[in-house]
This record gives sequence, structure tokens and C-alpha cells, in this order.
Amino acid sequence: MGSVNGRSDNEFEDESLVSPDTLARKSLGLDRGQHGTLSDAEQDFSVKYLKSQLFRSIKVVLFTAKINILMPCGPVAILINYLTANHAWVFFLSMLGIIPLAERLGFATEQLAFFTGPTVGGLLNATFGNATELIISIFALKSGMIRVVQQSLLGSILSNMLLVLGCAFFSGGIIFIKKEQVFNKAAAVVNSGLLLMAVMGLLFPAVLHYTHTEVQYGKSELALSRFSSCIMLVAYAAYLFFQLKNKNTHDPVHEGGSQHEGSLVDEEVAEISQWEAFIWLAILTACISVLSEYLVDALQGASVAWRIPVPFISVILLPIVGNAAEHASAIIFAMKDKLDISLGVAIGSSTQISMLGIPFCVVIGWIMGQPMDLNFQLFETATLFITVLVVAFMLQDGSSNYFKGLMLILCYLIVAASFYVHVDPASVEDKSPQG
Amino acid sequence: MGSEREDLEIEMETLVSSSQSAKKTPTVEIPDNASLSNVAKSWIFSRILERLWKSIKVVIFTAKINMLLPFGPMSIILHYLSKNHGLVFFFSLIGITPLAERLGYATEQLAFYTGPTVGGLLNATFGNATEMIIAIYALKNGMIRVVQQSLLGSILSNMLLVLGCAFFCGGMVHSKKDQVFNKAAAVVNSGLLLMAVMGLTFPAVLHFTHSEVQYGKSEVSLSRFSSCVMLVAYASYLVFQLKSHHNLYNPIDEEERQNEDDSDVVELPELGQWEAISWLAVLTIWVSVLSEYLVNAIEGASDSLNLPVAFISVILLPIVGNAAEHASAIMFAMKDKLDITLGVAIGSSTQISMFVIPFCVVVGWIMGKHMDLNFQLFETATLFITVLVVAFMLQEGTANYFKGLMLILCYLIVAASFFVHVDPADSNV
Repeated sequence: MGSVNGRSDNEFEDESLVSPDTLARKSLGLDRGQHGTLSDAEQDFSVKYLKSQLFRSIKVVLFTAKINILMPCGPVAILINYLTANHAWVFFLSMLGIIPLAERLGFATEQLAFFTGPTVGGLLNATFGNATELIISIFALKSGMIRVVQQSLLGSILSNMLLVLGCAFFSGGIIFIKKEQVFNKAAAVVNSGLLLMAVMGLLFPAVLHYTHTEVQYGKSELALSRFSSCIMLVAYAAYLFFQLKNKNTHDPVHEGGSQHEGSLVDEEVAEISQWEAFIWLAILTACISVLSEYLVDALQGASVAWRIPVPFISVILLPIVGNAAEHASAIIFAMKDKLDISLGVAIGSSTQISMLGIPFCVVIGWIMGQPMDLNFQLFETATLFITVLVVAFMLQDGSSNYFKGLMLILCYLIVAASFYVHVDPASVEDKSPQG
Repeated sequence: MGSEREDLEIEMETLVSSSQSAKKTPTVEIPDNASLSNVAKSWIFSRILERLWKSIKVVIFTAKINMLLPFGPMSIILHYLSKNHGLVFFFSLIGITPLAERLGYATEQLAFYTGPTVGGLLNATFGNATEMIIAIYALKNGMIRVVQQSLLGSILSNMLLVLGCAFFCGGMVHSKKDQVFNKAAAVVNSGLLLMAVMGLTFPAVLHFTHSEVQYGKSEVSLSRFSSCVMLVAYASYLVFQLKSHHNLYNPIDEEERQNEDDSDVVELPELGQWEAISWLAVLTIWVSVLSEYLVNAIEGASDSLNLPVAFISVILLPIVGNAAEHASAIMFAMKDKLDITLGVAIGSSTQISMFVIPFCVVVGWIMGKHMDLNFQLFETATLFITVLVVAFMLQEGTANYFKGLMLILCYLIVAASFFVHVDPADSNV
């Protein structure tokens, strides 16, 4: 792969940076012959070198992506949180602030994937791909806002399958208006079959509850949810194993993925080094966590201030934050007529959330002692199942056009509208710890 | 095919002719005639004994699964000796398994003699004989929910567990490539199954939208009507499969015919025609006897083992009826003959939904029991979701071990949901 090239180029650059300096050092040493001044010069030089690396790194990560204009919104949101009690603004600004961070997180993950080889790289992408949603969910769990967690994860799946896919099909279809774009039917069917099975695994606690047929009302669904989550995590591990093993022979979705990485490498080498990528990953995750905390705390207040139901915010607004980057990249690839990659992004992300994100949150809730379960309440469960089924059927014929995209977007609008006029029954609603 | 029979007949003829020739000379040796016919009779008698012994050896002692056979009589003994329903239940469960397998074997053997059409019919009917027998006993005891749940569980187990294990084992053995199967046949079969399930769900939907004309009575009448319709549908399905659209199932049939040809060339049918019929009868009687003890022990086992009755009916009972099909499906998958596996799994599910369930409703009607198609909401929803998802998943025409694993895990989740499931207090058990 190009990672080797990238690495060697980087090292070459580093060497070229270092070599004239070592020459300079040697000449200095020859001239001066004094130990103290030499080490000072060395230290001076190393500090300068580090600073230039740091500056270069910051430049690459922070200043090259246009989306980073939104970055100041983060610190502004924190400021406003302490200055005023205006939850609506805090919420809105932290939302805007997280978006570029999520995108840069994806970037850093990709860069790190260059250095770690395809297997661990795939693993990284799989895990950090939805890191933002997971972080937001964990904070919401900590605050005991279980419905918010369920709804935001559900909304993420809905948004991926309807909005992202719809926009991708629509934009791609408009650009290539003369022909129908095609994608690899087989891969799409396999992936949507998997998603359907994953969703099915998630449904049973809800069905059990709503047919009022559990042994111990309230406790059984929790136990069943925890058991199902463990099984789904095992299934996810097997899924990763299976995907990574068949990476070479498997669907063009992954070939498209590696093509994508390949083209990235052909045109650009890995832009930052391994340790830089790692450090940036950590920094960005920390920033996202900080902002998420403010985001989640401001949720209820924003809901009251804007007079929007909390379910709407959880299902529609929160996922936009986590998905913005994937959204953009799916549209870009559709416009480049690489629909397989768009599909991979959209459906892969949905599958990840249903097989990893949701069960993981249930297990975290178990550890935290929060009664997070898979009982997504009847409306959400029905919506999820219907959506996944309909989209899975729609993907079967392997072609797309702008009309299909438009239909998907309009369906998403209808779903969003239904959540706008949806409240949880009082018995189910999260009782928020802070107003 | 009938060569053994011919051999036997020739032997008989020689026996008879020798006795006849003996009789033709009565005037010469009268006392010899009587002794000769005695000799002839004892000769025939020992021949029959020999045949019987050979038959028993072939049927009972050659299959390894028959080690489980003693569990049957043991469970009967236990039933009379102790009140431990849990043990009786388990032992009869284990005891029926080899009987079901031998029943399948006897049916196959009989099919050699009857030709493909009647043979297919036989397989279709006796394929699920065990489930039917258990269901009829449960019906007799008025355990209507048990009947519904065990038949439902049979469908679920076929579609998820059997298929999943087959795909998984086949995928592990052939891990280099994806196994393929005839998409068209799978799609047709799963479409049929989906339609059958749709026919089964309407009484439940009617009941749960509280929109029936006469609460309680309407679903039963609707169920009985639907069942008759489904039986007509099943009859036409058989005609369709066996007569007019024979070629649609060609890959499956060719495989089977190839297998039969192989087995004809390699092994002749191991039993004679009448033997097969008599074994069929004997095994059916045995299965019936054990089923009676099984069904009687269900409630007690549920109490003593601390398992909900739903779990026992949906998960444990179908294992018994399906064990043989399970094993053969896995075997065929490992031999890369996925079409046969699919035929076994989906065909069995279709048979149960289109034949056995309506048949039980009709038998209930005759017995005067209120057996209907209202499977209660949770079971109906589970059935519908499962069939939909599996039908969708089969559309692609390939299989690998991961798909098998997903199916098995889904089955685990379904089993777990039944573990924490009780019927609402108002429905009859």
C-alpha cells in the first residue's frame, strides 16, 4: 500500500531536514569545541525543530480543512455557558463546535490507519468512525438521560439510511442526469441483510415489552437487552474478523475503500506522522468529550427555549453532529460516481451503530448501573424496522437516480416531522437532573 | 430395486414347488407329506425370523444415533416409578430423537419403491410426522398454547438454527469461497413461506386490533376457514412441485436424483417394501407412545426445571422433531450441496406452516378443541419478522460462515426472549 511510501517519504523529509543540521552541528563543534555551547545549540535547535513540526502539524490538521471555520464555536459555547444561562445558545454553538472536531477526528483516524496497516486500520475506522455519537451517548448516559441515548442512536441510523443516502443519490443523480448510476448490488444486499438482522436482534426486547408478555415486568427486558447486547457484540467481532479476512476478495465496497485510501495516498502521502496522528486523535477526542458534556447538559434547556420536543432534538439534531462529516464525504463520492463508497459509508455506519454502538451503550449503562435497555418504545422501534426494511428492498436493484434520492429525503422529512409531534408517555420520559 | 423381493419370491416358489411336488405324490408316502409340510413350515418360519433379524439389524443397529433408543423405555419406567416430571420429560425427549430419525429413514426407503411422486408425497407428509404426533397429543390434553408454540418454534428453529448451523459448518469447511445455491428456488420457497405466514397472521391481527365481530368466536371461525384454505393451497403446492413445474426444482431434483442414482448404484434400498411399511407403522406407534408421556410431563418439567412453558414448547420440543433434519442439513452443507440443505430447511418450514398448522386446527375442530391461528402477538410478531428477514437474506444466493453465525445468534436472541416470556394472564394455557 501507499503507507510504506508515505512513511518513507516522511522519513526522507525528516532526514533531509536533519542532515544539513547535523552538518551544521558538526561544523559548529569543529569551530567551537566547547561542550556547553554545543548542547545549548542542540537544545535550541531541537526546540525550534519541535516547534516547526508542531506548527506544521497544527497547520495541516487545523487550518487546511474549510470546515474548521466552525471551530471557534466550541470555546465560545463554553464561554457562554459560564457567562449566561442561555442554554439554547450553548447547545447550538456546541453543536456547531463539535462538527469540525468530528471531521478532524475522522481525518486523524484515516491518517493513523496509514501507519497501522490494513487490519488495525480497518478496526480503527470501524471503532472511531462513530466515536462522536458514542461520546455524546456516554455523557447522556451518565446524566441518566436514557431516552436521549436511545433516540440519538436510533436517529443516527435513520439519518444514515434516509438522509445521507438520499442526499448522495440525489446529488449524484443530478450530476449524472443522463444515466442511472449503478452500484454493486451484491454488496449492498449483503450489507443491508446484515443490518436487517442486526436490527432484528435489537427489536426483541421492545416486542416482548409491548406484548406485555415478560415474566418480570421491567426486569425481564433489561436482562434480555443485556444478553442480546453481548450477543450483538460477539456478532460485531465476528463481522470485523470476517470483513478483514476477506478484505482482498470481498466486495468492491471495501475495494472502493482501499481505492479511496489508495487514491488519497497517490495524490497525497500521509500528511502527519504516526505519533502526531495518535496525539491528535487523543486531543480531538478530549475536545469532543468536553464539548459533548456542555451539549448534553444544555439539551433540556434548549428544548424548553426553542419549544421543540426533546425526542426531536435527540433523533434529528444530535445525529447531524456526528454524521456531518460522513454526510459530506458520501455526497462527494456520489458526485464522483463512486456510489459503492457512498453506500459503504452510509450502510456501514448504520450497521456499526446497530451492532456496536447500541450494544456498547447498553453494556456501559450496565457498568454504570443505569437501566439502559433495548426497549426503544413502540414508535421508535416500528420506525426503525420499517425504514431498514424499505431501504433494504430499495437497494436491491442496484441502480440509483435523483428521484430515489429525493424520495429518501422526503421520507426522512416525514419521519422528522413525526418526531416533532412526538412525546414520550410521562412514565417513560427521562427526568432530567438539571433544567 | 425389487430384486431382493424377487429373490425371496423365487425362494418361496422353490419352497412351494418342492412342497407341491411333495404333495403330488401323496399316495406314495402319506406320513412323509405331513412331515415335509412341517419341515416346509419351520423352514419358512426360520426364514422369516432371519429376515426379521436382518431387518432389525439394519434399521436399529446400524445408525449410531440409536444409542439413544433405550431412553424411551427408561422414561416410561421413570414415569411409573417416580414423580420426577423433569427427568421423564428429558428422557422421552431424548428417546424420541432416534425414533424420528429412523422414521425418516424408513420413509426414504419406502420412497424407493413408490416412485418419485408418491415418494415426494410421503416425504412431505411423514417429514414432520413427529411434530404432528406431539401436537395431536397436546391438543388432546387441551394444551392449545403448547401446540401453537411448538409448531411456531419448529418454523423458527428450521429457519434460524438449522439454516444457520448449515451455513456456518459449510462455510467453515469451504472457507475459501462463498457457497452458492440456486437463488430462484430459494426465492420461490421463501416467497411461499411468507405467504403462508401471512395467512397465519390474520386471525392474530384481527384479535389484536380488537376489531372482530364476535369477541372470541370470530377468530376461531376465521382460523378454521383459513386452515381449510391453506390445506387446499398445500395440495396445489404438492401438485405444482411434483407434477407441472417439476423443472423449476431441477437443481434440487437433479441433485436428489443423482443421490438416488448413486445410492441405487452404490446401495440398494436396504429394506423390502413391506418391511419399510411395517417399520413405518412400528416407529409411528413408538413415537406416539413416547409423545404421550412427553406431553404429560411438560407442565411438571416446567415447574421442576424452572423454565417457562413457552420456552419448553418453542425451543426444546422442536429440537426433537428437527434433530434428524438438522443433522442432514449440516451434512449436505459440508458437502457443498446447499440446495438440498435449503430444500430441507425451508421446505420443512413451508410444510409446517401450510400443512401441519392448518391440519392441527382441523383436528382440533374435530376434537372440539378451540385451537385457532391466533398465536398471540409476541409469537406472531416474532414469526413474521424472522421469516421476512431470512427471506430477504436468502435472496442473494450465496452463503458463508458469517451469515450462518448471524442466524445462529439471532436464534439465541429469540430463545432468550422466550426464556423471559409468559403468556398474559387472560389467555388460556
